[in-house]
Amino acid sequence: MPFVACSTPLGTSGIAVVRLSGKNSFDVFKKITKTNAKPVHAVSKKYKVYDKKGDVFDEIVATAYLSPKTYTGENMVEISCHGNPVIISKILEICCSYGCTLAEPGEFTKTAFLNGKLDISEAEAVSDIIHAKSVEGVKLGIKNLGGGVSKRIKKIKASILSCLANIEFNLDISEEDLQPNLVKDSLSLVKRVHKKIEYIAKSFKSSSFLVSGASVVISGPPNAGKSTLFNRMVGSNRAIVTEIPGTTRDVVEKDILIDSIPINLKDTAGIRDSKDPVEKVGIKKSKEELVVADVVICLEEKPKKPKKNHIYVFNKIDLGPPSGEYDISISAKNGKNVEGLNKKISSALAVSKSGTEAQITTLRQLHLVLKAKKSLENARKHLSTDLSLELVAEELSQTISFLDMLTEKTTKDDVLDVVFSSFCVGK
Amino acid sequence: MKPHNKYDLVVVGGGHAGVEASLAAVNLGLKTLLVSMDEKSVGRTSCNPAIGGLAKGQMVKEVDVLGGVMGFFADQCTLQSKTLNKSKGRSVWSPRSQIDKLKYESVVQEYIKNSSLRVLGGEVVSVDIKNNTICGVFLRDNTKIPCSSVVLTCGTFLNGLIHIGEEQIKAGRYGEERSEGITECLISLGFSSGRLKTGTPPRIKKNTVDWGVGEAGYGDKNPKPLSYRTARFNPKDEPCYSFRTNEKTHSLILENLSSSAMYSGNVKSTGPRYCPSIEDKVYKFSKNPSHVLQLEPEWSNSEQIYVNGFSTSLSEDVQLKCLQTVKGLENVEFIRPGYAIEYDFFFPSQLKNTLESKEINGLFLAGQINGTSGYEEASAQGLLAGINSSMYVKNKNPLILKRSDAYMGVLIDDLILKDTNEPYRMFTSRAEYRLQLRSSNADQRLLQYSEDFNLLNKKTIDTLAKKIQHTKDVVDLLEKTSIKPKQINKTLKKMGESSIKESIKISSLIKRPTFFIKNVEQKILNVPKTITQNNFIDEIMFEAETIIKYSGYINRQQDEIDKIAVYEEKIIPNNFDYDIIKSLSNESREKFKKIRPQTIGQAGRIDGIRPSDISILLVYLKRSFHVKQKK
Repeated sequence: MPFVACSTPLGTSGIAVVRLSGKNSFDVFKKITKTNAKPVHAVSKKYKVYDKKGDVFDEIVATAYLSPKTYTGENMVEISCHGNPVIISKILEICCSYGCTLAEPGEFTKTAFLNGKLDISEAEAVSDIIHAKSVEGVKLGIKNLGGGVSKRIKKIKASILSCLANIEFNLDISEEDLQPNLVKDSLSLVKRVHKKIEYIAKSFKSSSFLVSGASVVISGPPNAGKSTLFNRMVGSNRAIVTEIPGTTRDVVEKDILIDSIPINLKDTAGIRDSKDPVEKVGIKKSKEELVVADVVICLEEKPKKPKKNHIYVFNKIDLGPPSGEYDISISAKNGKNVEGLNKKISSALAVSKSGTEAQITTLRQLHLVLKAKKSLENARKHLSTDLSLELVAEELSQTISFLDMLTEKTTKDDVLDVVFSSFCVGK
Repeated sequence: MKPHNKYDLVVVGGGHAGVEASLAAVNLGLKTLLVSMDEKSVGRTSCNPAIGGLAKGQMVKEVDVLGGVMGFFADQCTLQSKTLNKSKGRSVWSPRSQIDKLKYESVVQEYIKNSSLRVLGGEVVSVDIKNNTICGVFLRDNTKIPCSSVVLTCGTFLNGLIHIGEEQIKAGRYGEERSEGITECLISLGFSSGRLKTGTPPRIKKNTVDWGVGEAGYGDKNPKPLSYRTARFNPKDEPCYSFRTNEKTHSLILENLSSSAMYSGNVKSTGPRYCPSIEDKVYKFSKNPSHVLQLEPEWSNSEQIYVNGFSTSLSEDVQLKCLQTVKGLENVEFIRPGYAIEYDFFFPSQLKNTLESKEINGLFLAGQINGTSGYEEASAQGLLAGINSSMYVKNKNPLILKRSDAYMGVLIDDLILKDTNEPYRMFTSRAEYRLQLRSSNADQRLLQYSEDFNLLNKKTIDTLAKKIQHTKDVVDLLEKTSIKPKQINKTLKKMGESSIKESIKISSLIKRPTFFIKNVEQKILNVPKTITQNNFIDEIMFEAETIIKYSGYINRQQDEIDKIAVYEEKIIPNNFDYDIIKSLSNESREKFKKIRPQTIGQAGRIDGIRPSDISILLVYLKRSFHVKQKK
């Protein structure tokens, strides 16, 4: 299976680089770009990236590198996408949905060693980097996990461990039926733990906003006052404002904070039929932004079927009251009720603000949690249907090993320790 | 005294490890001498009268496929045979045989008599070393026996000390002399040793038990031998009987705890947690109102009965009083009391994965001397030490089993990478690939090694190869043959299973938890005659069914195995200098220096080592490799 990672630092930047490495990395790349061309070594080309529904969400430049003349020695693809954390996460997510795994820290370099791609001096330099990374990584990991989640995952691990120990005792030692309620108890524990894991997985979206920011896009017909609102919200005359419809051509963006949530606010071209080639490109970009936005501030009347992440805003209340249905009425020009809009945005992002809440913040963590969740579901299935305890044990060990990658390692001896301390082992 | 001829191999000790080691070496053409303190005790089973059991039965099967003798001998003196864990999944099904201990000894000794193995009664006290290489052993009377390699299988004999209450007796086993000298010799060569403890329950007189009180336990209706080489197998099915301790027993034990060597502090070494003494059970698990005692005959119609579950180091009179509180044992009399024994062992991290010392060429250690417990663990190590000492003498590549190959692989890997502080016993939960390591597929996993290393005769290899091929054929057949709704829906309905709407492959029905091959009419599956006539037809059908049922999990585990396989082949030179790597953490460096892993795979399995340590190690290995090439 190929692995994938963002090689540039996380955060907003002009361009970000996502790398894929592995025998099948071209297959994955073909799927996300819906192309069928044979990759040519070290040639860069422009592509569109599609999400699972088939919508374009970014235009990228990608370079294919054919094994063995690559950094890792395997087939590789380097994708240069727009440096928006949301886009990067989405690319990683889509690659994973086609079978990629997220790279562990240092995995590209490690693969390079294994394939004999590094010479002595490089190798030495890299060793220092790995070391630095591992220290930093551990610190970062702990910081990212926060006290809450790390404690919570440790607790979850401990309950799975005790359940596993019960089952191992049954498989390994007990030849008599000393545990009449084993299946029932295990099932109820697995269900309980599954709920907790599910909750942690759900917390990802909101907490990831806190780290990498949310994307909020202002949209609406030309001359609706989008740029005025943008300037009002960022607090400066960042976007050009005129009376002429179609003034905004390119996407204008700025990072701001609303309710201490980092937000990447974007002003877009008004959507209309235009013959102007420059405006046309701008409109196309607007549409693409709408696809990846977390929240859209839409300066339009609420349609019959309102979109979930849209806030329908009546602007220009300074000129008269609204006719028709809106979520909120404001004046971008004099700032009236913009505060109210901010509140609506933060509640739309549904960020859980309770400090003690368990939160995971990176896509890698999310993937591990989801894998753990899947294993628990399999364990639940075996417990409620065929009672194959050795398969339940297998799934529970898997669950623990996924959670181990978030916290510290559990060993086979830990399981035996629990067995020995809780049971009278031996006839 | 006439000087001894030179031997290829001298095996010290004649227990399970020693017997396997010496017979494996003889089988491979080595001129071999087995030295035992008492020739008549060769092949003695010193504790319980059973071979196999949970995880152990799997190992006996593995030993058998690799040409070992334990299962083959046990089959000739089986009193009852039973597959344990049958109500659970197939990967944890484990065969166990109650055996006639006296007959076992005589079967072993008879077999040795007819082999080219020489046996000598005597006590080895030290090894002779030149240039860090074995060149002989010395006996108590100072005789030197020259040899190219040595396997030490001293069991519990090295400075053995028996405890029965306050009483202490220097002995290797009850009534047998202990061995002194080897520990001191190895320590002077730089080895580090420790003390471990194990115990054995009392033996009682058969005619002093009220047998009517006990609950009889019999073996399987359709018993199967442990060895693929056993042609005829008709065990007698002699029963064992269970009795139960009660509150009176427990309070008497608690009152007299101070008479236990364990609790009075006389035994300082660690005992096994999985085979606790009765005083441990009563003290630590005070909630249990009763513990089971299994009364097992030690041989056919034996006058001597083994009290399984009553391992103890209480004083003799307290032991007896306690046992007499058990219903049915009111008038019980001892043949001999239970006892605990302390003995020397050597930390097995000083060994390579061939069981050869990392420091001294040609010196191998196997069995309890490595800190394990159990006949089967000993036998497995003995066999590997025997094979690998032969490979050493012949200057050929050793036999190394991976964790994914066998419990034997798990055993060796755990021993050399972990420091045991209690006797090591195998459990199925120690194996990460448990679903692959079944007792029913030992032949599939290991036959190739037997062929490569010439461990079995051609006839056995051909028979097993055919069995494996036929199993594959049946799997293919199940995956290729379709079944129509009208052929099976009636049966499915009767079974309470959901019916099928269109033709499907039989294999997809087999994947259902409660559907088996036997539910398909023979004429639909149509297994060719060549296969149905195979003597192992039952095993073939069972195993084919298992392969299909487990396929999802097996494929996933196989992916994992393949993923890490590359690390098992990355060798770390024995003289690798960990001090040059500044970016390693101190803790990891110390662990690497102490254990000196042979491969990157091993390094990664040492407790507390992080993935980044391994990455760093890889960088430097790469570097030293380049430097070497330049030179």
